[in-house]
Amino acid sequence: MDADKITSALADVTAEQDPTVKSLKMASLCSALWAERGVELVVVGGSAIEILTEGAYASGDLDMCHINQATLPIRERQEIMGLLGAKGGPRNWQVAGMYVDVLGPVESFARTPYRRVQGPYGEVRVMTPEDLLVERVLISVYPGENATARECARELATVALAGAVNMNWSEVLRVANLREYRNVNECKALVNEVAHELGIKSPFDPD
Amino acid sequence: MNWESKVPSIPIEGSISYEDWLKGRRHRRELSKLAAPGVIRRTGSSSDRRLKKLFQGERGLPFTPTEKL
Repeated sequence: MDADKITSALADVTAEQDPTVKSLKMASLCSALWAERGVELVVVGGSAIEILTEGAYASGDLDMCHINQATLPIRERQEIMGLLGAKGGPRNWQVAGMYVDVLGPVESFARTPYRRVQGPYGEVRVMTPEDLLVERVLISVYPGENATARECARELATVALAGAVNMNWSEVLRVANLREYRNVNECKALVNEVAHELGIKSPFDPD
Repeated sequence: MNWESKVPSIPIEGSISYEDWLKGRRHRRELSKLAAPGVIRRTGSSSDRRLKKLFQGERGLPFTPTEKL
């Protein structure tokens, strides 16, 4: 990406006042710049859930991880983010009126692909909703009840049950059964509850 | 509510275009709000200091109202 395009993209992200669009644009720009240096980024956590659900959940920071085992050397990270006029580092930066965190290698257990949105500056990879749902259900219960995480899980389940985000429900169960989570009953209960409220059949109905 | 939407869904395989993702925002928001009405942004986290400094006491930019999506 040449300097003129970076300048124009940066002005666009800086001027953007919708938090979800701003995050997606920033993820698109960062993904493109890191990919030029061989590192693939994926949006994770609340930012990923926001892109998938529009649930009015995420804060003003964009969390990303790298898909590759190795990330870039610190010097190179600072150089890339320096192209965007970022402050701080080497894992979180203030840039274009928001924060960007590149947290480390991604933790994903689902065998489904990362979801992909063609952003304005390049493709954005988004954490699998199967991982996000199982993780959010876990956080809603352990180490103690967490109402916000539960609302977030319910939003993701609703959007998926209604078909706005395609979810592989078998994969949800497989991931929830892994020793990393062991929360299959909680996941089934939440999805059944939401499906019942929506008046549609749950993918986890026994019949 | 009609679950069927002419807006393309976010697929498992392949990708969704930026234009289609934008078009689907309102539908996804309306669905989400069936499950959890209102803004459900966390009220606090370890990032509070930096967020509130940048966003004038808030933890992020205000969300666009559903009717404007």
